[in-house]
Amino acid sequence: MSLHVIKTENLEKVYRTEEVQTKALNHVSLSVEKGEFVAIMGPSGCGKSTLLNLLGLLDEPDGGSLQLLGTETSRYSERQRAELRKRSLGFVFQSFNLIDELTVFENVELPLRYLGVGASERRQRVEQVLEKMQLLHRRNHFPLQLSGGQQQRVAVARAVVNAPPLLLADEPTGNLDSASGHDVLGLLTELNEAGTTVLMVTHSEHDARYARRVVRLLDGQVVLEHSRSQF
Amino acid sequence: MLPYPLLLLYRIFKRFKSTFFINLIGLSTGLACALLIYLWISDERSFDRYHALDGRLYQVMENRRTAAGIETQGGTMPLLAEALRQEMPEIELVATTTPVPFFPGFTLVAGGQHLTAVPKYADPAFFQLFSYPLLVGTPATVLRDKNGIVLSEALATKLFQSPQNSLGKAVEWQMADLKQTCLVAGVFAGVPRNSSEQFDCVLPFASFKDLMHMNETIKWDDEGPFNTYLALKEGADPAQFQAKLAGLLKTKSAQAQAQGRTLFVRPFSAAYLHGTYENGVATGGRITYVRLFALIAGLILVIASINFMNLFTAKASRRVKEVGIRKALGASRAALVGQYLTESVVMALLALVVAVGLVQLVLPQFSALTGKPLALRWEWPLVAASLALALGTGLLAGSYPAFYLSGFQPAAVLKGKLPTKAGDVWTRQGLVVLQFTLSVLFIVAVVVVNAQLAFVQRQPLGYDKAHVLRFDTGGKAARQQAAFLSEVRKLPGVVQASSVLGGFLGGRHVEEMSWRGKRLPVGTMLVNYDLVETMGLDLVAGRSFAPQFRADSAAILVNQTLVAGLGMPDPVGQQLDGRRIVGVVRDFHYESLHEKIKPLLLQLDPSINTVLVKLQPGAEQATIAQLRQLYAAYNPGFTLDYAFLDADYQAQYVAERRVAVLARYFAGLAILISALGLLGLAAFTAERRRKEIGIRKALGASELGIVWQLTSSLTWLVVVAIVLALPLSYLLMQRWLEGFAYRVAWQWWYFAAAGMGALLIAWLTVSVQAWRAARRNPVLSLRAE
Repeated sequence: MSLHVIKTENLEKVYRTEEVQTKALNHVSLSVEKGEFVAIMGPSGCGKSTLLNLLGLLDEPDGGSLQLLGTETSRYSERQRAELRKRSLGFVFQSFNLIDELTVFENVELPLRYLGVGASERRQRVEQVLEKMQLLHRRNHFPLQLSGGQQQRVAVARAVVNAPPLLLADEPTGNLDSASGHDVLGLLTELNEAGTTVLMVTHSEHDARYARRVVRLLDGQVVLEHSRSQF
Repeated sequence: MLPYPLLLLYRIFKRFKSTFFINLIGLSTGLACALLIYLWISDERSFDRYHALDGRLYQVMENRRTAAGIETQGGTMPLLAEALRQEMPEIELVATTTPVPFFPGFTLVAGGQHLTAVPKYADPAFFQLFSYPLLVGTPATVLRDKNGIVLSEALATKLFQSPQNSLGKAVEWQMADLKQTCLVAGVFAGVPRNSSEQFDCVLPFASFKDLMHMNETIKWDDEGPFNTYLALKEGADPAQFQAKLAGLLKTKSAQAQAQGRTLFVRPFSAAYLHGTYENGVATGGRITYVRLFALIAGLILVIASINFMNLFTAKASRRVKEVGIRKALGASRAALVGQYLTESVVMALLALVVAVGLVQLVLPQFSALTGKPLALRWEWPLVAASLALALGTGLLAGSYPAFYLSGFQPAAVLKGKLPTKAGDVWTRQGLVVLQFTLSVLFIVAVVVVNAQLAFVQRQPLGYDKAHVLRFDTGGKAARQQAAFLSEVRKLPGVVQASSVLGGFLGGRHVEEMSWRGKRLPVGTMLVNYDLVETMGLDLVAGRSFAPQFRADSAAILVNQTLVAGLGMPDPVGQQLDGRRIVGVVRDFHYESLHEKIKPLLLQLDPSINTVLVKLQPGAEQATIAQLRQLYAAYNPGFTLDYAFLDADYQAQYVAERRVAVLARYFAGLAILISALGLLGLAAFTAERRRKEIGIRKALGASELGIVWQLTSSLTWLVVVAIVLALPLSYLLMQRWLEGFAYRVAWQWWYFAAAGMGALLIAWLTVSVQAWRAARRNPVLSLRAE
């Protein structure tokens, strides 16, 4: 029996302004199994980021079902969603989204703080992951003192420090030069090989090649799913 | 290394320096005001509460029905204490005393020294009822001996070098034409400053009875000025006692019942703050000012908190990304609320530290202003109050930002965009309006209070208070009052001299009088010859008292209010309660302008010893020197303690003057804090609209036009605040003015001045920022995007 990390059925999201109603996601049904590396592709405005926000419980769907790690979450309260986010999800964003007032160490430490991990274990785990990302020597730097590539490595470190089963990455290389982008994708691949399920939104065909499966979206609907071999 | 939350705050404060300082200044001045007011209030609340029996200690009061409604007074009949002890088993201790104003002052003579002292006669239980520690003598017995006297430590030390040394020594007291020798039976530590009554020596009430030839048993028909205090037994029910006491007089005296007189008790310590009664109901007293100042402290803290809220939420766009990240990482809303509340509480605690410094700095001036020696004594009530104030302010200031920021959807804010809800802008603007409403309110209050005080100075009083000296005579000068006064009149520089019982200003003993079936409560002023002339009173009919009219000892002068009240068509020559009216004086304000002029009669008594001397202007000092010589010739060893009537007059408005000065300071601070907030908000607006300004300038907008663009919206907020504040301030200040029977008329410019003042300050504040923004090179602004 395959274990679904993500399973959506007829997932819907509608954006409303006073005059216009835009269907950002239209009956999206998608499943991702444990250990997969899936890329979501599509042109700007196709609903990729919206989908990622829903899967990451950063936003609420307007219809359909959304199961994460075997539980239905579409009716979760804010508190339950926060709980699931901190235990089971890791995020990597295009704009890194590090907190400027926190050092590298403190940024990476944050998810562990929210999990209530003790100080000595926190230090140990943060140092471990920083070492793996070759950032240990930068631990006391502030984000603005680092290059873009380094910042994104910090963001990846932060996303995986609590060893979440699912990692969500939103255009992780969008703000990076190609060498740094390659580095980051390499890190994601390594993590995936070690067992983490990775879901990455990208519009770069190059980046999508790192994934084992590609889901293509257009105007809020899944138009195509194929494996890496079918590029 | 700082603890994690503090470290984080340090970095945030570093990043938003100007906001940090605006908040620090605002919150610390707000907290400093609140702390000062706290010190003042806790001192007011400490009055009369230091007695061990506090809680069981009561004063017997009397209500009486009069034509003008129920009148309440603390004066009770003589010998009530003894009678109550027999009637009421609930009473543990009870004592009758003379009220402190009864004797203006004794001269104590011992070993060739003459000292002025305020005496009090009291029943033996006095020192058991009240906690004035005895250094010599025991509470239960110290007032037993009729010939004894109990001195304060200060008096005993001055007269006999030490309290122990004074025991059994002879002291003579003199007052007017009375004198008596007594033996020191005890010494008490003195009356603390926070006592509503100040006195220097206590004598047995038994000797007062002898002196005044009073009865040995109570007469229930009697009325009196005496104070009766009692302590209920532990466990006695005050309500039951109250009910029993209320029924007492009517069973004892048909006359008292007919007059509608009833007794009740009020807690002794309540008298200081809750001393005012209207129609038999306690309606406040000094508590009004306590509440007023507490309210002011609260409002200033609210204004300072609003700055914090506004600046915090205005800068939210720069912190909103952080909210998104933290939420994405699993922070719950509660955790974020906690984080932001911690931030505001730490800010408030920092402000508290600065505030304590500020308080230390201004405490001497504040003490002088309030007439209280206030000090920061770091005992737990002050520590607890300071922390509670800071914590409360921190939570208040942080509440709105915390809930505002933590409420964002992470998906929306992670894009770096601040979802602008119309409600938020409204809230922020509403808060600015609230701030300025309060500020305008303060300004109107300042204007009105000062206008009323100026009115008090301007108002024709019906007498001339200038250059009038007041002093109490003792010794030979008192015994030979007429001779002394006639010599005073002969001094060069003296225009006229007279005397009046207990001073010219103040309330009078009131009795109901009747004329042709009409009844009226009438006050009595006991006066000497020439009072009308000395005080410049205006006779509208008849004549004033004169020695050549022998029958004047049974004659009276009356004021116009009395004539009108009784409806006398032709008052001169009429009899009022057996006394003939010889003249009518124009109404004059013998009480403060808080009180309406009441029916008053002036009765002749040439023996009274509070002397009033009208001096020629210009030569006061020389005349006073001659007066001293004259007084010393009559009374070797006595000192002449004098005061000017003008100062007595001003003393009636001490509380108002205090309010005026404090209101000025508080209004200034309220405006300052509000303006700081506006400054921060204007800076933020200019920053946020930087690109817009650049585009406008690139398209040819003038600098003035840009300034108008930036200032107009904030100007409108202040205008709205003014519109809201004016009716509100009218209502509030009208209530304050109603405390005066005679009050200044409202002028349109009070509002105009307050409104224009607030607008001008707001405009100056905002314009500085607007100019800076308008003058910026548009190329730089556009490139920054």
